[in-house]
Amino acid sequence: MTFLEKSNWVVLVVAVPTLLVYVALVVPQVLGKPISEVSWVQPMLITIVGFIVANILGNVVAAASNPGEADKEDQRDREIDHLGERVGNWLIIAGSIAALALAMADADHFWIANAIFLGGLAASIVSSVTKIAAYHGPFQTW
Amino acid sequence: MVKPTLVTNSIRALRFANGEMTQADLADRVGVTRQTIIAIEQGRYSPSLEMAFRIARVFRVPLDQAFQYSDGQG
Repeated sequence: MTFLEKSNWVVLVVAVPTLLVYVALVVPQVLGKPISEVSWVQPMLITIVGFIVANILGNVVAAASNPGEADKEDQRDREIDHLGERVGNWLIIAGSIAALALAMADADHFWIANAIFLGGLAASIVSSVTKIAAYHGPFQTW
Repeated sequence: MVKPTLVTNSIRALRFANGEMTQADLADRVGVTRQTIIAIEQGRYSPSLEMAFRIARVFRVPLDQAFQYSDGQG
């Protein structure tokens, strides 16, 4: 397994629990009280920082497991990376458009922030799954 | 992304004909990862023209001896 594939596994393994932790912290509040009283800023900051730190640590561990491979990438790695990023970008755009529409509709900050946050997190997950699938299945860009 | 490639190759046979060269050795000489050589050998990835030339050059054979394209297609 190349370092870049391991790195994508790290993103996936970190992003899914991150999403679940955030949902566990916020959804019970959403169901139990008015949106304006939901405490979402702190859980969002905690999960964003946790996601970044866990990704860095995961990549350090992945690099340390095979130091000789850590700086190796080739054309196939770059093509797979571009494909995954292209797919993920659609979700970031979708989240941004949703946030824009919510802002225009004068929605609560909670919904606007969550549209962007969940779009970004979903992009990370879908992008990683796309790349891992490309590493294991037939792949060509032309 | 998952279009089946019509490009086939003789890399495995060429490796064995060249002193049973390992995939790792070939990867080092071509400048790619071993996983990319495995993917090419298994027909899961079609290399660029430049990479194909580099592979053929390692074995000192013409390009069409290392890579073939199915007749009657495309």
